[in-house]
Amino acid sequence: MSTQDNSIGARIGTFGREAVQNGWTRERFTLLGLVGLVLIGLGPSFQVYLFTEFMIIALFALAFNLLYGYTGLLSFGHALFFAGGSYGLAIVIRDLQPTIADALGSGVAPLVTFVIGGLVGVLLVVLIAIPVGWLSVRLEEIYFALITLAFGMLGYSLIVQNPAGLTNGTDGVLVLLGFVELGGLEFRLGDRRVYYYLTLTIVLASTYALWRIVNSPFGTICKSIRESPDRAAALGVDVRYHRWMTFILSAVFVGVAGVLIAGLASVASPYHSHWTQSAIAVVATVIGGATFFAGPIVGAFIYLYVRWGISRYPALEAHWEFFFGVMLILVVLYFKQGAVGGLVMLHAWLLEVQTVYERDGAGAAASFVGDSITTKLRNARDVIVARLRSVWNRLRSIGQRGAT
Amino acid sequence: MTTVLKTENLRRQFGDLVAVNDVSLELEEDEITSIIGPNGAGKTTFYNLLTGVLEPTSGEIWLQKDGELADITDAPPHEVAQSGLSRSYQISNVFERLTVRENVQVARIAHEGRTLDIRSRAANDEQLNADVDELLELTNLADMAEVTCDELSHGEKRNVEIALALAIEPTVFLLDEPTAGMNPTETKEIVSLIHELNEDIDATFVVTEHDMDVVTDISDRIVVLADGAVLADGDPQAVLSDERVTEAYLGSEAV
Repeated sequence: MSTQDNSIGARIGTFGREAVQNGWTRERFTLLGLVGLVLIGLGPSFQVYLFTEFMIIALFALAFNLLYGYTGLLSFGHALFFAGGSYGLAIVIRDLQPTIADALGSGVAPLVTFVIGGLVGVLLVVLIAIPVGWLSVRLEEIYFALITLAFGMLGYSLIVQNPAGLTNGTDGVLVLLGFVELGGLEFRLGDRRVYYYLTLTIVLASTYALWRIVNSPFGTICKSIRESPDRAAALGVDVRYHRWMTFILSAVFVGVAGVLIAGLASVASPYHSHWTQSAIAVVATVIGGATFFAGPIVGAFIYLYVRWGISRYPALEAHWEFFFGVMLILVVLYFKQGAVGGLVMLHAWLLEVQTVYERDGAGAAASFVGDSITTKLRNARDVIVARLRSVWNRLRSIGQRGAT
Repeated sequence: MTTVLKTENLRRQFGDLVAVNDVSLELEEDEITSIIGPNGAGKTTFYNLLTGVLEPTSGEIWLQKDGELADITDAPPHEVAQSGLSRSYQISNVFERLTVRENVQVARIAHEGRTLDIRSRAANDEQLNADVDELLELTNLADMAEVTCDELSHGEKRNVEIALALAIEPTVFLLDEPTAGMNPTETKEIVSLIHELNEDIDATFVVTEHDMDVVTDISDRIVVLADGAVLADGDPQAVLSDERVTEAYLGSEAV
C-alpha cells in the first residue's frame, strides 16, 4: 500500500500534464467532464434537482446491471434494496437525530446523522440481501426474475403494513435534513446545491468502485457465468456462491442509491419499494444497453429527461407510459445493444465515411452517406412490413379458424 | 503404476434405462485411455458422472488428490474441477462473447482461488497474464488473444477448449470427442497436441472419439462401452481385433 500512497502525488501530476498539455487525451476529457459536473451544480434549481435524480437512478441501474448485464440474472426485486436504503436513513433521522444532537451539539448533528443513517441503510440492505440472495440464486432465468419480484412485493407489503410503527405505512417516513454548522461553514444539508455535490461525490465514488469490480478477476468470473454457467463450473467456479456474492454487492450499491433518493425526495416512501421502481432500473438498462458499462447511465439519462420533456406537455403527460412503450419497442427491435450500442455503430459508420472521404473525396463520401442511409431505411421498412404481415397473417388464420 | 482415477460399480439409471451399468475402471497415471462405443453406449453419461454433473444411482468415484485417492462421488462440478479433473466438451462450450484471453483468464482465476478478488484488475495483472500467454502459446492461439470467441472458427474454438481444460492444471483430462467436426489438417494438429501435452505434463488423458485412426494413434489403452457396460478393456491391438467389439459396432450381420 505504501508505494501507492507515495505515488498519488506523482499520479495527480501526470494526470494534470496529460490533461493540459498533450491535446485531446482521455485525461482532458475526464477533467472537462468533472468541471462540467461541478458547473451543473450552479445551474437553475430545478435542473440541479433533475440532474441529482438522474445520477441516483443511474447508480441504481448500474448496480442492477452488475447482476443483469454482467452476471446474466434479471432481478425484478431490486426496489427492495432501494427502499431498504431509504428507510434505513429515514428511520435513523426520525428516531436518533435528537439523541445525536444532545451528544454532539446541534451544529454537526444533521451531518453525522446522515452518515450514520446512510451506513445503517446500507447495513440493513446487506442483512436483507444475504438471505434473499441465498434463496434467489437457487433459481435461474425467468424463475429468478419471478422469485425476486415476489421478494420485492413482500417487502412492499411489509412496508405498507407498518410493522411496529417503524415505516409509517403508505405515508412513508419524512426525511428532514437539518442545518449544519461546522467550523465556519453554515449550510442546509437538504439545500439542492449542497445535496447535488454530496450526491455527485458519492455517485462518482460508487461508479468508480463498480467499474473496478467489473474489471477485476471477480468481474471476469461474473461475465463467464453470464456466458456459460456450466462451463464456469467445470473450471472450478462455484457458480451459485458467486452469483450470491454478486447479488449482495449489487444490492449494496442499490442501497446507496436508495439512501440518496430518500434525502432528495425528503421522504422514504413505499413507492420506492414497488415493483415499478425495479422496472425503472430494467428499462433504463435496456434503453442504454446492458452490455456496456455506461449503458445504464445513458439509459437513466434518456429515461429521466424524456420523462421530463413529456411532463411539460399535459396532452402527452396523460399517456406518458405509451411513449415509453414505443421507445422500448424501437430499442428492442432496432438497437439490440441499446443507445450506447447505437452510438458505437454510429461511430463506426462515421469512421467509414471518413475513410471514403480521404480516399475518394467529398462527392464519393456524400453518395456513400446517401446510399447507406437509403439501405438502412429500406431495411427498417422491410422489418416493419415483415412484422405487420406476420401479424396480419396470424389474425387472418385466426379468423379462418373461427369461420370453419 | 499409480491409479489416478477409479470408479467402483458406477451405475446410473434414468427410469428403467440403465445408461451406465456397474462400470469399474482404474486409470493409471500418464496413460492415454480411449473410451469408445456406439452411439448411446453411455460415454457422455459416464463423463457427466465423473465430472459431477449427474449423480450416480450407486457406486463410487475416486480421484487422486495430494498423493492419495479421495472420494469425489458426491462432489459438485466445481469441486471436481478443483480436485484436478478437467474436461472439454463435444460441442464447443467456451465463453462466446469474451476474448480468448478472458476465456483463459477465467480458468486461471478459478484455479488460483481468486474468484472473489475485487481489488486487482484482470487486464493489468502481470502474473495472471504471463500464465495466460504461456497457455495461448502452447495451444497456437497467441495471435488471437484479443479476438472474441464468437468470431473464431470451429477448429480455433476447439483449441480454446483445450486451453481452458489445461489452464486448471488437472491430473486427469477428459476430452469429449476432441476432433469432432474438424477437417483432416485440424485433426492432425489436435492429435499432435495431445501427444505433446502427454509428454510435457504428467496428466492422464481420457478421450472419447469416433475417428478410429485417431483412437489407434493416441491410445495406450482402449475401453469399449456397449449398453452402458464395459465390453472390452486393454491393449489397442487386442481390443480392436476382439470379435465382440466388431459386433457391437457393426451389428450381428457383419460377423
